[in-house]
Amino acid sequence: MAVFTDTDELHRVMTDLWAAIKNDREMAAQLLTSRLIVTFHYREPDGRLTVDCSDGKEMVITVGDCNKKPVVEMFMKSSVAHDFWLGKVNVPLALIQGKIVSKGPVNKALALLPAIKPAYGLYPTVIEKNGLKVSIT
Amino acid sequence: MNPFVFHTPTRVYFGENSASSCGDFLLELGGKKVLMVADAFLEKSGALRPLIESIRESTGNEPILFTDVPSDSDIDCVNKATAIARSHQCDAFVAVGGGSVIDTAKVINICLSFGGEVMDYQGLNIIERKLFPLIAVPTTAGTGAEVSFVAMVKDHGESKKLMFGSRFLAPDVAILDPLMIVSLPAKLTAATGIDAVTHDIECYVASGTYSVFTDAICLESLRLLFEFLPQATIDGENLEARGATLVASCMAGVAFTNSGVGITHALAHAVGAKYATHHGMTNAVFLPHGMRFNFDTVYPRYARIAQFLGFADKDDASDDKALANLLVNKVEALLEQLQLPLTLRELGVPEFSDENLAELVDLAGSDPAIMFNPREASSDDLTQLLKRAY
Repeated sequence: MAVFTDTDELHRVMTDLWAAIKNDREMAAQLLTSRLIVTFHYREPDGRLTVDCSDGKEMVITVGDCNKKPVVEMFMKSSVAHDFWLGKVNVPLALIQGKIVSKGPVNKALALLPAIKPAYGLYPTVIEKNGLKVSIT
Repeated sequence: MNPFVFHTPTRVYFGENSASSCGDFLLELGGKKVLMVADAFLEKSGALRPLIESIRESTGNEPILFTDVPSDSDIDCVNKATAIARSHQCDAFVAVGGGSVIDTAKVINICLSFGGEVMDYQGLNIIERKLFPLIAVPTTAGTGAEVSFVAMVKDHGESKKLMFGSRFLAPDVAILDPLMIVSLPAKLTAATGIDAVTHDIECYVASGTYSVFTDAICLESLRLLFEFLPQATIDGENLEARGATLVASCMAGVAFTNSGVGITHALAHAVGAKYATHHGMTNAVFLPHGMRFNFDTVYPRYARIAQFLGFADKDDASDDKALANLLVNKVEALLEQLQLPLTLRELGVPEFSDENLAELVDLAGSDPAIMFNPREASSDDLTQLLKRAY
C-alpha cells in the first residue's frame, strides 16, 4: 500500500516537515550555512519540493515547480522518503542499490545528513497531524 | 544477515601477455573505432605496441591515441579527448594506465555516449543505460578503477573533484597483465598496493553495506597483498608477485565498489585535494589512525581478518581485542617494511594553520567515503585525526 494517497498529501506532509525543520533554530542554522538549493523529486506519487538556503538567512520551501536552479537534486520513491524521515533508510546502501539517485555534487548533500537527523523525531508528529494511516515504527 | 546488493559487471581476464587479446574482446563487444586513453610514458616505452597491434588486427582500424592525461585528471582533459573521439567517430575505448587514466576514459565515455555537458552527469546513479564498450588495462595495482562504478576528475576552475557513480560506468572488460606493471617503480608499487589494502580493510568494516561476497573477496585479497606486496616492491620483475598484487587490487576494487570505503579514504581525499599528495601514500599515513578510530566499533571484524591471515597462530593472541590489535600492528609493520611515509609531514604537507585545518575537516566530513564509515566522526574527531597523522 502506498504511503501517500496522492501528490497533495505528499506535498502537505513534506511542507509541514520542512516548516518544522525551519522552526528548529539549530537545524535551520546548519542548513543555512550550506547555502545549498536542493530539489527533491518524488515518484509514486509524483511530487517535488525545493529547499533554498542560498541567501544564508532564511530557508525558502517551495512545493511543485520552482524557478530556482538547484545545486543538488535527489530522486526517490515517496515511500523511500517516508522511510528516510523515520530514520529507517541505510543511506549508503540505498545509494548503492540505486534507490536514491543524486544529481550534482553529492558530497554537499551528504554533508547535511547529520544536521537533519533530529528531524527524524519530528516526522511522526507530522504524519499524525496529517492523519496518515501508516506505520511509524 | 543484513540486506545487501552485490554486482560485478566487468569480465576479468588475467594472464601474462593477456593485453594482446584486447582486440578479440573489442570484436566481441562491437567496437570498430577505438580511442585509446593511456599514460604518455607507456607510449614512449613501447608498452602499448601489443595492444595497438591487437586492436588493428581485430578491428581493421588504427586506434586513436590520446596520452595527454595529467596525473590528477580534469574536465579540460575530458573535453579535449571527447572532441577527438567525436571527430574520429569512435565507438569504443581502451584505457591503459593508472586510476586517473581509467577514470578519464570513463568520463569521456559518458560524454561521447550521451552528449551534452559533462556536469549533467555528475552524481550517483544518474546514468541509467549502457555506454560504449570500455576495456581497462591497469598499469598500477591499487585503485581498482578497472572494475569500479565510480570515476573522479577534477574541476580545476572550481578546485574540486567531480564524482560520477553508476554501475554502467564499470568497464566491460578488465585485462590484468602482469607484464604491464613490471616497470612500475618500487615506491609507486608500495603506495598503490597500500591503496588496495585500505580498500579491503575499510570495505570489510563498512557501515551496513558489506556482505558475505565482499567479505570473502576482501579476505583473500588481503592475504595476497600481505604475502606478495613486499615481494613485488622489492623485485618488480617478479611476475608471480606482480600478478598476485594485480589480482588482489582488482578484487579489492570489486569489493569496495559494492560496499564503500571509510574514514581513511575521506581524510586522504581531503588532504590530496588540498595538497596534491599521492593518494596511496596519503592512505598509508591515515590507515593506522583510521583503524584505531574505528577500533571499538569493529574490533571483532578486525579480529576475523587477523585470524584469516594467520596472525593469531604466530603471536598467540587470545581474544578479539588482542587479535584486532595484532592486525593494526601488522598493518603498521607492513607500512614500515614498504618504507612508506608514516606522517603527513613526511609527505610534504605544510604545518596546518587553523584555517587550513578547518578546511580539511570540512572536506573530509563531506566526502562520500565517510558515510560508509562504521563509526560517526565529528569535526573534533577529524581534527584530532589530522593532527595525529601530522
